[in-house]
Amino acid sequence: MVANKTNGEVRVGVFVCDCGLNIAGAVDCGAVTEYAEALPDVICAVRNKYTCADPGQNEIKDAIRQHKLNRVVVASCTPRQHEPTFRQCVREAGLNPYLMEMANLREHCSWVHPGEWEAATQKAKDLVSSAVARARLLQPQEELTVPVTTSTLVIGGGVAGIEAALEIADAGHQVVLVEKEPSIGGIMAQLDKTYPTMDCSI
Amino acid sequence: MATTTSETFRCMMCGHEYEEPVEKGEDKERSCPKCRSNSIRHLKKKKPAKE
Amino acid sequence: MSGYVGNFTAKIRKKARYVDPTVCNACGECVKVCPVTRPDGFQMGLSSRKAIYIPFPQAVPCSYVLNMDDCLGNNPIACGKCSDVCEKEAINYDDADEIIVREIGAVVVAIGLDVYDPTEMDEYGYTRFDNVITSMEFERLICAGGPTAGHFVRPRDRMRPKRIGFIQCVGSRNPKIGRPYCSNICCMNTIKDCLLLADHYPDVENTVFYQDIRASGKSFEDMYQRSKEAGSRYIRGLPGDVEEDAETGNLTVTVENTTTGKLERHEFDMLVLSVGVQPPKGMGKIAGMLTLSRTSDGFFMESHPKLKPVDAPTRGVYFAGFCESPKDIKDSVCQAGAAASRAGALLNAGQIQIEAITSRIDEQACSACGLCAKVCPYGAIVWSKGEPAVVVEAACAGCGACGATCLFGAITMRHFTDEQLMAQVRAILADKPQDKVFCFACNWCSYAGGDMAGISRIQYPASNRVVRTMCSARVSEEMVIEAFRCGAPVVLVSGCHYADCHYINANRQTVKRMQRLWDQLEKAGIRPERLQLEWISAAEGQKFAKVMRQMEELRKTVTLEEIEYARDALKPKPKKRAKNGRKKSAAVAT
Repeated sequence: MVANKTNGEVRVGVFVCDCGLNIAGAVDCGAVTEYAEALPDVICAVRNKYTCADPGQNEIKDAIRQHKLNRVVVASCTPRQHEPTFRQCVREAGLNPYLMEMANLREHCSWVHPGEWEAATQKAKDLVSSAVARARLLQPQEELTVPVTTSTLVIGGGVAGIEAALEIADAGHQVVLVEKEPSIGGIMAQLDKTYPTMDCSI
Repeated sequence: MATTTSETFRCMMCGHEYEEPVEKGEDKERSCPKCRSNSIRHLKKKKPAKE
Repeated sequence: MSGYVGNFTAKIRKKARYVDPTVCNACGECVKVCPVTRPDGFQMGLSSRKAIYIPFPQAVPCSYVLNMDDCLGNNPIACGKCSDVCEKEAINYDDADEIIVREIGAVVVAIGLDVYDPTEMDEYGYTRFDNVITSMEFERLICAGGPTAGHFVRPRDRMRPKRIGFIQCVGSRNPKIGRPYCSNICCMNTIKDCLLLADHYPDVENTVFYQDIRASGKSFEDMYQRSKEAGSRYIRGLPGDVEEDAETGNLTVTVENTTTGKLERHEFDMLVLSVGVQPPKGMGKIAGMLTLSRTSDGFFMESHPKLKPVDAPTRGVYFAGFCESPKDIKDSVCQAGAAASRAGALLNAGQIQIEAITSRIDEQACSACGLCAKVCPYGAIVWSKGEPAVVVEAACAGCGACGATCLFGAITMRHFTDEQLMAQVRAILADKPQDKVFCFACNWCSYAGGDMAGISRIQYPASNRVVRTMCSARVSEEMVIEAFRCGAPVVLVSGCHYADCHYINANRQTVKRMQRLWDQLEKAGIRPERLQLEWISAAEGQKFAKVMRQMEELRKTVTLEEIEYARDALKPKPKKRAKNGRKKSAAVAT
């Protein structure tokens, strides 16, 4: 399972994003980049204006090729936003997407600590250090693909169940509709007229 | 019928200690009645509650 | 129900009907001879049926069914009459339930609702006064297919009532009886009833007692106004008491009119309780079968309230209709369509990818204790006594509760391994740990709550350092201990609120672990308060910031001596973790 293109040697690249002034306005990104460069197994540390934009992504791809990077740390925003972006980016450069790690310098740092230059920068360094420590131990992962049985179970034969069953059947799939009563229809069948159309329920 | 016992809890944030009836097998999020913290420690030693 | 997305197996009990629906031509001869009379459930008990019956005229399948609990049986001395008259020979007293097994790719849960039974709200006299009925009984009484063929009469004397009162929110929006939620449909249902009555009987006088009229759907307000124009009166205030005139059977309600602030009394010929709805009986069973979670109201919890409103947290399971939340017919049909489309997308894909954050068990290291299988919320770990546990990868959602529970280091949580997380702990606390507030945050809620604080620019002390895990249940006792060992003054473990847990209920394991850790810290002479637990939702940026401020205050109370003491006290463990593990490894060592 270990990526061994570089004889087991771990080669980390760190990309520190200014995010315009979103991060650089509250965190000393230059100092963070410098700090990152000195961390164990870090081969290169690059500061970008916007890492997620095409030029930023190209810098990552170029660095992967040029420095034979096999781990990437992007120190920018929350992974909940751009993890898919950067996973795709490293994949395009030939790296397994699970070898990319992010440090959240924006939502968890610069945006919540404005005007605290020293403390925010120290925190950013720690977050990068944590991400690098984790990245050094990341392993490539393969996503499992499983087949899907093309049949649907619908539990409940009221209006919602009947409607869902019909739609799925109309789409050409087999449906098993299960109802606990002797007849389908549910509560709606017990109603007389229904709003807003004032027509019969059955 | 479910059995209910009176249990003692301590808030690890503000130190508030309180008793509360607990139904067996209940699945309930706890928070301190005083400070709303979720750091609620369940103190051992159960006393049976009156029905 | 077993299996996982795309590959479920459903075992279905097909109940015996005792009448072959493929043969029965619904002639009804059997009903004429059946000697057993029972209340008709479809008509809300307002009329009777026989032991052999058709649920309602438009029933599907259109066939009679024999209720064996009611039937006298086929012993010729006892009965057997229906079988004698059935020319088609459709009746089979020996019919039995049948178990059907089906392979299933997707599941749509549409188990609907139960109507609230107002017996407990005795102030309205539902069980005491004949002329107090529920809105469901109203439906049958006004229906042409009902017990009175649509002639609207009151139960006590079969007279047509002229003055009809409706009481809203019976079993809804009432925290006192544990029903705080709005049932959604009752306001419009009453407005419809008022319009129906006014249409059928122009001389009728309708009065509706309400807290708020919620008529927010398309063309609903128009209906509300029309019912007012048709003469229905709306009085803001719910009656406190109902009295019956023993002679006439008329009902007098006492109500505080909250618009005028005056106490009023109104007399009616009939009172309709606009009853709310509730999650159906048996919901817990379905929830258990499909590992679904429920909100505090008891309805099913969707994957995301805005972005995944029909998806269950269990992949491949979708919701339609009432069981997800109270909704009317139109919304049920909408959601059913959405659920069908979601299921269709899954089936059409033919195959699916499972994110690689899943658990793997090292067979060699596994001691076959089965703890991991017990804590897995998805039943994704198969284990039988004496056998090493096996992960069904496709069913594993990746919470990591198993990995944090394993006492033997046999479980690897892919992409969130012990080593990776420990390396983060050590890196963060390598330098000046005494200044730092160390936090674990789950990806879906508390880490997202931190993001929300960021997006909202809510400031808090810069001392906090967060390590992200997928679920708080991934945080093992060892990880927390390691943080203290590295000199952390305080540690916070944070996860989703109970109702929001992205992994059904994995965070209950977090709670158990915290209890053990507090005990352990105390035993070691360490202030247990240095370890804190908080549930922070993705929307609670405010709370995230508040908790960080509290943690910073707490950090300031921890002295350097305490930190050093903890480092020391926690250090010289011969081997990791709790009882069994220690005993076993000690035995090996000697």
